[in-house]
Amino acid sequence: MGYRHPSESSLARSDGLVLPLEVRVHGRGGQGGVTCAKLIAALYTQMGLHVQTFGDYGSERSGAPVQAYTRVDRTPIRNRNKIYRPDHLIVLDEGLIGAQVLQGIGPGTVLLLNTHAGLEAYRGRFEQYRLGVVDATAIAREQGIGSSSVVIINTTILGAYARLLGLPLAVLEQAYVSLGLGGDFPAAQHAYEQVRIAEPLQRIAPSAQPAALGEPAPVAALTDHDKDVPPTLKTGTWSNQIPVYGDHSAPCNLACPAGNDVVGFVQALRGGNVEEAAAILLRTQPLPSVCGRVCPAPCMQNCNRSAFDGAVNIRGLERWIGDHAELSLPSRRDAALHVAIVGGGPAGLSAAYQLALRGHDVTIYEAGPALGGVLRNGIPSFRLPQPALERDIDRIRSLGVHIRCNARLGGDDLRNLRRGHDAVIVCVGFGPAVDLAANGHDLTGIRQGLDFLAAAKQERVALPGDVVVVGGGNTAIDCARTALRCGAATVTIAYRRARQDMPAIAEEIEEAEREGVRFLFHRLPVAFTGSAKVSTAVLAEVEAGSPDASGRRRPVVTGRTSSMPCDAVLLALGQKSGLDLLPDGWTMKDGRAHEGGQALPVWFAGDCATGEGTVTHAVGNGRLAALAVLEGRAMAAAPADGTRVAPGQIRFSHFDLAAPNGDRQHLPSRLAGNFDEVNLGLADPGEAERCFSCGHCTRCDTCLVSCPDGVIYRTEDGYRVDGEYCKGCGMCAAECPRSAMEMQEKHEVTP
Amino acid sequence: MTAQLLSANHGAALAATLAARANRDGRGFCSGVYPITPSTECMEYLCQQQIEKGRVIRVESEHSAMGVCIGAASAGARTFTATSSNGLAYMYENCIAAACLRLPVVLAVANRTLGPPWNIWADHSDALTLRDHGLIQFYCADNQELFDTVLCAFRLAEDRRVMMPVMVNMEGFILSHTVAQTEIPDQSQVDAFLPLTDIPHRLDRTPHTLGQIEVPHQTEMHRWQHHNAMLAVPAIYGEIQDRFADIFGRRPDDPVVPYRAEDADTLIVSLGTIGSTAERAAEMMRARGDRVGALRVRLFRPLPADAIRAAFAGKKRIAVIDRDIGLGIGGVLWSELRHLADPATVMQNYVAGLGGGDIRPEHMMKMLADLEARDGGGAPAMMEAV
Repeated sequence: MGYRHPSESSLARSDGLVLPLEVRVHGRGGQGGVTCAKLIAALYTQMGLHVQTFGDYGSERSGAPVQAYTRVDRTPIRNRNKIYRPDHLIVLDEGLIGAQVLQGIGPGTVLLLNTHAGLEAYRGRFEQYRLGVVDATAIAREQGIGSSSVVIINTTILGAYARLLGLPLAVLEQAYVSLGLGGDFPAAQHAYEQVRIAEPLQRIAPSAQPAALGEPAPVAALTDHDKDVPPTLKTGTWSNQIPVYGDHSAPCNLACPAGNDVVGFVQALRGGNVEEAAAILLRTQPLPSVCGRVCPAPCMQNCNRSAFDGAVNIRGLERWIGDHAELSLPSRRDAALHVAIVGGGPAGLSAAYQLALRGHDVTIYEAGPALGGVLRNGIPSFRLPQPALERDIDRIRSLGVHIRCNARLGGDDLRNLRRGHDAVIVCVGFGPAVDLAANGHDLTGIRQGLDFLAAAKQERVALPGDVVVVGGGNTAIDCARTALRCGAATVTIAYRRARQDMPAIAEEIEEAEREGVRFLFHRLPVAFTGSAKVSTAVLAEVEAGSPDASGRRRPVVTGRTSSMPCDAVLLALGQKSGLDLLPDGWTMKDGRAHEGGQALPVWFAGDCATGEGTVTHAVGNGRLAALAVLEGRAMAAAPADGTRVAPGQIRFSHFDLAAPNGDRQHLPSRLAGNFDEVNLGLADPGEAERCFSCGHCTRCDTCLVSCPDGVIYRTEDGYRVDGEYCKGCGMCAAECPRSAMEMQEKHEVTP
Repeated sequence: MTAQLLSANHGAALAATLAARANRDGRGFCSGVYPITPSTECMEYLCQQQIEKGRVIRVESEHSAMGVCIGAASAGARTFTATSSNGLAYMYENCIAAACLRLPVVLAVANRTLGPPWNIWADHSDALTLRDHGLIQFYCADNQELFDTVLCAFRLAEDRRVMMPVMVNMEGFILSHTVAQTEIPDQSQVDAFLPLTDIPHRLDRTPHTLGQIEVPHQTEMHRWQHHNAMLAVPAIYGEIQDRFADIFGRRPDDPVVPYRAEDADTLIVSLGTIGSTAERAAEMMRARGDRVGALRVRLFRPLPADAIRAAFAGKKRIAVIDRDIGLGIGGVLWSELRHLADPATVMQNYVAGLGGGDIRPEHMMKMLADLEARDGGGAPAMMEAV
């Protein structure tokens, strides 16, 4: 059929291309070899030449050796055979280099290898060829081209090929743009620049011929063909990467300030085993009933499921375990150390728990009449009922911890304690509450929110009228909600920043709002007036200034003010840090006391050391202090951020949509005098089913089912991949719903 | 007219798309499709096209894919589908129904051997099973030919004198997946080439039935009509070639494509892409002083017996290469052609390239050496294309 010849560009004419040209590409199924050959064809099309390109498809699919071909000529190409004597040979995977790949190439052939080894590695091997080597895999990986399991290098290596052809970079770029591959051009450019080329050593004799191809089979009568092809094929020899099972860090685990194995306990609960879940949780968490109620749950904020259909209600599950597990911990006293803990709040309880678990002799010195610190005196019982707190404390007490209440220490008491014990851990919490330097701040009716909360936990407190709460943290919210329960007619929270800047737990803010608390944002009291008793708060408008170190915008107080009538004001502006019980001559460094440059066996933990301000942080810090005591060293930093499983590494398509199971809410019709718990937690632990188990194998068999060769087997503790037959296709790793496995280059895997 | 880099699968789908759009002022286009290697890319490409007054329906089997085409054609629409191998086998019953109902369905087949054991590669054994049931069969050798033949197939199938399905065959992978520049006509050219589909017996306002029970005499008459319509195809196809050349500026190949056959002593006869390899083998033989030519049978049903007989006349030796085997007889092409040569001609059948083997000129030269040594045609011989 007549075919209009495209006009050849001057480039093709001047380049000294010998036509017809045959290019053979060797790769593996899934690497993009066929597309590579098509791209090469498209490149020559740009030069106005005729092309033909096709792949030699294998039935083994991903990972199997694949060949692809491109023919180039000045006229339409009629040859439909595969290419047996390529002029250009491109090998996408150095693991393939062998006799079969090199078959049919003659002296002077252009040979382009994708390899992480340099040109030197091939010295003496390919001296009669024009050899180019480039690490296209590294370049493509760096540029993020490919899937989660396989790096696709075809667009990258084309850059190296263009360099071998002597094409100017501009022509290559133009080709990429016209092919719609502009995004991959930077990778091609890298390859163009990084390819190393060795010219043939000998001059090629004109008579030089490639080795003869094998003779075709003889012609025979149909009855003579009775011999079958031997089928044994160790496909494992094809692979250059292998699947490796291994835990990757779930974002919840990384986010937990207490260091809880969140995935571990949720998955155990998913199996229906609340005791096993408790055993995992109680390794790091002595206060599950408490934290399951009051933790701001950074685990949930980081939960990968929030990018799908809503975070797993991890806090609710922790509470379920705390409230339902009957696990009794072994009480032992077989270890050597006598340790004093100063302060019976969350940090102290956590430190005492960790040491007592390991059999050490521990005494808690608590200033108040009972253990708990802020848990007992600060957090209102409608959020944390006393039985829940007692349940956690009883568990700690059951380990044989000695408790000395009403033991307020000061002066040189720490020196004495130190003499009497192998180690002392100081966990006395924050210092005194921050006051508000505003005119009239000493009027009657203005008091610290913490004092109010403590009083309300011990007795009936009446707080009628209009109440203004100043602050934006959890204490402010607790004060506001407690005030409503103490009979306030209205409660207004004045906060100097915006709602999204409030450090309080989001759900608590919502609950306060639901209960009728009003919010005034960007407001700060600058004066209080009243005759003897406060009657008006003067609120200044606050503007958002430049961001501070925390990223929040710095509040700038303006001269614009408004007056607000009120009967009481509760201040919840935070607490000062600082230790007032350090003996003279002692200093604190890295969470440990020093005297005269000498480290003392006295550690500090919790808010007095870190000021992090949540129960969960204190629990985590107390545990680290206990571990530091055991190892006699400075406080260790929290573990570094491991390989975090990102939402993009979760195969959402493997999961069904399931809305989160929220906590059950109890909304009292009348708040005044009602301190019943508002949040009733989960109805059952079914929420655990929603956990993706990010980075942790659940034996879901997806890998086994996805393996096209059926070479993944179940074992007692997971799976085994038969390396003799795994061709490294990566389907298992790509299909793993939870990123609990990955492909590794064989040469990088230590046997 | 623009040249595009397209695989033959995509080319077939694009030709069908252009034909579909050309019927936008008529009774539209409807296609039922179901994927199977190696024809999958064809239906995928078709599914991506926007076709005014056209629908591509993804169904649950090849049987239903053809069922959709039967239904659509019965209502007067232009229809097209594509399949391969066991997919065609599963479609078989409805292919015969489409043929017996005289519905002008165009069917692209990416030829693949039949299993089990499973093999995804090319031979002609799938399409050849349908040689006797009233479907016209073309076998193509390159991307442009395939594209052009699909366009011709619509015109031929829908010609009132023909009115039957047309199969357009391309060897799986060898042609279906090969990408090459293909000249794509403008829609206006296709509009000019293809009249609006007009199926006289379509189900329309006048109530009537299609395919009801009939008595022996009626069946005899229907078969005879169908057979005679088949026999008229080469002449009608000639008209279409002329029309095609007028509009597109190139003439589709004849039903039988000779290559340096006239002065040849020896002919290599084949279907599909083997024909282009035979041309290269002929050149190599001629370089050695042997007068070898090639003959490619492009239209297999109806068999252009006269043209083949004329091409065979006076030849000393003929090698018929079959990429198929009629089990119990030998190559299907050979078994059809064996009586068309002179009695004195040595005709030998070579079965090669089954299940995708790559038949190279070197193989053909071995066959010719074998042929040269023979005094007369023997039982079919086989060559492994390894």
